[in-house]
Amino acid sequence: MSDVVISGTGILKVGRHYSKSLKDLAAEAAFEALDESQVDSVDYVIVSSSLSYTEVGQLGLAGYISSYIGLTGARPLSVEDGEASGLAAVEVATSLVKSGLADNVLVVGVDKLTEFTSGRVYEDLQKIYDSEVFLLHKVGHAGLAGLLMRMYMEKYKVSREELSYWPALMHSHAKENPHAMLRFAIDPSAVEKSLIIADPITLLDSFPLGDGAAAVVISNEEVVKGKGLAKVKACSSSSGLPNPFLQEDPLKIGSLISAYQKLVEMTGIKASDIDVMEIHDSFTITAMMILESLGLSKEGKAAKDVAEGKYGKDSKPAVNLSGGLKARGHPIGATGVYMVAELSRQLAGTFKGVSVPDASRALAVQVNGFGSSSRLVLLERR
Amino acid sequence: MVVEDLSVPAFWRRRTSYYRLVAARCKKCGKLHYPPGAACPYCGSRELELIELKGKGILESYSVIYSAPGESRGRAPIIIGVINMNGLRIVSELTDVFPDELKVGIEVEPVLRRMDEDSNKGIIRYAIKFRPILVSKSER
Ligand SMILES: [Zn+2]
Repeated sequence: MSDVVISGTGILKVGRHYSKSLKDLAAEAAFEALDESQVDSVDYVIVSSSLSYTEVGQLGLAGYISSYIGLTGARPLSVEDGEASGLAAVEVATSLVKSGLADNVLVVGVDKLTEFTSGRVYEDLQKIYDSEVFLLHKVGHAGLAGLLMRMYMEKYKVSREELSYWPALMHSHAKENPHAMLRFAIDPSAVEKSLIIADPITLLDSFPLGDGAAAVVISNEEVVKGKGLAKVKACSSSSGLPNPFLQEDPLKIGSLISAYQKLVEMTGIKASDIDVMEIHDSFTITAMMILESLGLSKEGKAAKDVAEGKYGKDSKPAVNLSGGLKARGHPIGATGVYMVAELSRQLAGTFKGVSVPDASRALAVQVNGFGSSSRLVLLERR
Repeated sequence: MVVEDLSVPAFWRRRTSYYRLVAARCKKCGKLHYPPGAACPYCGSRELELIELKGKGILESYSVIYSAPGESRGRAPIIIGVINMNGLRIVSELTDVFPDELKVGIEVEPVLRRMDEDSNKGIIRYAIKFRPILVSKSER
């Protein structure tokens, strides 16, 4: 078994890149990561993209991206797991390097969400949920979040106002992050006043639609001769029930709890041992459910914890210093790769934004929908 | 533009779960799930029996969707709810109710309602929705 490192990272600003194609975005991120890693060969090009088929109309994307960036001949592999595709790609890449089947793997996450009108994109986004149930009703991607948020507020007697501190915290982080989409601060009171999408969910509880690409080079530590930004300590994942309401407690993410238990068994490292974390806050309520499923906040207390100042840069763990899905943005298939690239830079001390000096452990957390699958990637300082 | 997510055969295959509330009960662990899978998602047993959910349900949560995507835009606001029937929670649309009449804990019952029309194929789609059970003031 080989030790696995992140030897290079590339991150594009999430935004409306009307003048660039999906492949242009992928190339820009890939070149930045390859230049930083300085590897002289790439065995695999793994592409994570969730909506490219429908938004761009391309199948076999990994092969086309390989040749577009001049890596013709590399083994191409496209990986898809809905919103959690990015961490799935990192997990596959890590396994290939760890097993010795590959020395260097380029992982590119890319998605383009501004090719069509937002109505069409939201229609595509509802496909992250179980199509057997939700394709008939066509109510979009925010409805389930609305059901869970109301359940949370009623069960734990949490107010709308308390839940508004999360988006405000995310914007305060994104303001300092040069590659975030929404680089401005908001007051918690603005969340309640913004457009209602799926009551009680408002526009500011949700993520913006933006294009994005991020890349990492994952390498055998010996091959890159001890260089690299961070070590990949472990990857974990788990599938879950097809919708959260089949769980005894819909407000816990069963697949995340299962993936987390596996991670603790593998490494002995707990969420409270982590210095910096990036979590999948597709909605405010998703963030609360993740923080409670990982045991970082007590049941029903995450919103109060955030309102009292927990999870900012001086907390352990500091959460979503990028601004999270909420404000850095959520270019679906790219998001997990963003997380790993950002956390690698946090550990290497090269992250340009709110950062934690001397951070030694970092965790990326992704969930598809509300837990049909969950994935974790644990990184350590080199 | 019409995005045809649901094909004619797909709609036909799912008619039982769309038109009748047929759930699966695991013969090994006894747990219910909906719509029926190929095995029990809780214990993995393939010994399932189909049962039709009947009677009334309790509304456990709801959301009023104002910003419905694409084709559904004309139907907004769309109200969806989590309904507990025979101990199984299902997500469905609510009908015959105004948003300000909704409350967690009210009793609801299933009814068959028209969803929409597929303009390309001429299919009129129906689905089960839930409506509040009307209770007269003296019964309250
Ligand atoms: Zn069972």
